[in-house]
Amino acid sequence: MQTANVNRLTPYLFLAPAALIMAIALLYPIGYMIYASFLDWNPSQRIGEAEFVGLRNYINLLSDAAFLESFRVTISFAAIVVSIEMFVGVGLALLLDRNIRGMSLLRTLFILPMMIAPIVVGLMWRYMYHPTVGIFNRTLKSLGLEPVPWLSDGSWAFASVVIADVWQWTPFIFILSLAALQSLPQSAMEASRIDGATGWQQIIYIKLPLMMPVLIVTLLLRLIDAFKVLEVILVLTNGGPGLSTEILSLRISRTASEFRELGEAAAMSNFLLILLMVLTFGMFFYNKAVEMRAARLRAAAEED
Amino acid sequence: MLSLRTLLTGTAVTLSLAGVASADGHGGPYAPYAGTTLVINVPAHPHYNAMMKVLPQFTEETGIEVEVDQLQYLKMRERQTLELTKDVGDYDLISYVVFSKADYVFADQLENLAKYFMNPKLSDPSYDAEDLIDGYVANIGIAGGKKGYLPGPTGSLYGIPYGSETSVLAYRKDIFEKHGIATPETYDQLLDAACKIPEVEEGMGGMASRAASGHQASHAFLLHLAPLGGRVFDDNWNPIINNEAGVAAANALKTIVDCGPEGSQTFGPAEAAASFSQGNAAMFMDSIAFAAGFEDPSKSKVAGKVGYALHPEGVRRGSQTGGFGIAIPKNAQNKEAAFLLMQWLTSKKGDLATAMAGGNPSRFSTYQDAGLNEKYPYSATFGEALKYADPDWRPIIPTWGKINADIGTTMSQVLTEGLDPQEALDGVAARAKDIMAEAGYYTWQ
Repeated sequence: MQTANVNRLTPYLFLAPAALIMAIALLYPIGYMIYASFLDWNPSQRIGEAEFVGLRNYINLLSDAAFLESFRVTISFAAIVVSIEMFVGVGLALLLDRNIRGMSLLRTLFILPMMIAPIVVGLMWRYMYHPTVGIFNRTLKSLGLEPVPWLSDGSWAFASVVIADVWQWTPFIFILSLAALQSLPQSAMEASRIDGATGWQQIIYIKLPLMMPVLIVTLLLRLIDAFKVLEVILVLTNGGPGLSTEILSLRISRTASEFRELGEAAAMSNFLLILLMVLTFGMFFYNKAVEMRAARLRAAAEED
Repeated sequence: MLSLRTLLTGTAVTLSLAGVASADGHGGPYAPYAGTTLVINVPAHPHYNAMMKVLPQFTEETGIEVEVDQLQYLKMRERQTLELTKDVGDYDLISYVVFSKADYVFADQLENLAKYFMNPKLSDPSYDAEDLIDGYVANIGIAGGKKGYLPGPTGSLYGIPYGSETSVLAYRKDIFEKHGIATPETYDQLLDAACKIPEVEEGMGGMASRAASGHQASHAFLLHLAPLGGRVFDDNWNPIINNEAGVAAANALKTIVDCGPEGSQTFGPAEAAASFSQGNAAMFMDSIAFAAGFEDPSKSKVAGKVGYALHPEGVRRGSQTGGFGIAIPKNAQNKEAAFLLMQWLTSKKGDLATAMAGGNPSRFSTYQDAGLNEKYPYSATFGEALKYADPDWRPIIPTWGKINADIGTTMSQVLTEGLDPQEALDGVAARAKDIMAEAGYYTWQ
């Protein structure tokens, strides 16, 4: 009897250290943040001195025009940036998936942008966008064109941060899709070639569907990152002009440091967290559905 | 346990160094503290760069070592906010930006200075506090009087102005002379000149001003609000920022930015100053702290060509008061030695030495010093400007951070997206009213 009990406990015993570490490292900070979002907490107070206000922070946020605007900016930023990056990144990978001499050198060059620290990327682009001494406006002027208000006009500023982000993160999608392409089963390619598929048909019917699981994970990773991007925009525009580039993570950081509302900042972070969870689960279920459909088709094919 | 051990080691080191120091012959009021190492937190700012040059003199005279942590001023504020909530702080003396006064005093994180000035062993009888510029002391040092953030019978001293500033108009004498433009004395003349210059001088903007979204745009707006007769709140904390004076100030800022050098819409103070010192703008109206940089030929293309005038008059005179003060945190480890440093830096000698190294005086006597006027001829104008310095040009209350940021982003929308100033300020006023109500400012009404 005794031994049986101990035996049943053994796996839990072995799991305990991992569970403990996870609880401390993962759940505690998140729990802390969730708790903080119910407080009216000023950074000059300790958490124990803060007043409990229930859902007030969340309710205030839902009617806060600046927050809603920044939510909108974040979503359009993430959507635009990730679509462009996926398109360009996968396109480049399809183009460069061949044996060219010096390919490894090229590949290294291509992924350089994502190795640069974000603050540096921000500074670099900020100087390039500079209204008078920046390379873009100098070039435009020397061509006899009107200079562009890169960072000083709302819509241009938004476009400018999109360009900088695309420049930095396309390589990420590029190398992941290249890796996916190179690990595709050669047999499928050969079969399609023998059946007389053109290059485009190969891409659309063979390569892309086979790459899909990797592409979805890549997309998800990039989306999560795009929702949390901070440094580059902080350096480039600091959210301005107006609220045109004030993405959520910047708003959170300003709420905590400038407005001195830690509770509200925590509530905003929770909104962001919920949004990202919804996205992740969405992707996850989509993936599951696709797999199940494939399995069903396969089963049906085997029955025939 | 850890902190106790650090404390003990710290004391031991201090004692042994004190022994060495007194053997070296340091005596007097500083002797008990010789060998102490103070850690101070100051902004990266011309005044504090000047302080860095005079600190060795302090160490030599007193045997007290000073370790300096210099940060950009908004970053510095963030760091201090965290630092001040600790049980035992790392900083013995902090320089705080003026609007932090409300936060720190309200959270009871700064030492009241009365007990130090009462202590005969610490307080220097020749300090002459009367000589400190009273507008600065009112704005930066005192809290607890009128409206809570100004002096009055119930107020007391928490900090001493050091690196405080007012605003003056810097202009290009050569350009103004070339086109026969008179030095602006009123706001009308100022705005005329600002828009005339880009017409007559190709490639040059009228005035370089801060305007970047957030704090900078708010600062620029407030700079015009006081002289044009406006205030953010009336005496009962009702927002009046959207009255005629407020709209006039917003329009003034918009005119200045529209007629300013290229890219003005995103300038912070450093960029605006750089634009002026590189010859891209004919005027710059901001803190006096930038003057030393304009006159330094290694950094500025306009050295020697700059004239300085009082902040122009709108319906009244009212230049800004701001900048920094120094204070001792409640959680400091070496409070008495920190007081000695504070007193030394703001004494007649310390103030003059800092000013000679390029800092901003906090004392009337420093502005009258012949040596200083010879080295920096504009000092006389700055001394004159201080007579009109307005300690109440912006409210210093705990809710200010949020209202300030709101003014700043809204102003940026006025400047870049063509939002109507009246509509913009009505929005600010309505939101400010909610913030104030939530914070309990209308409890007694």
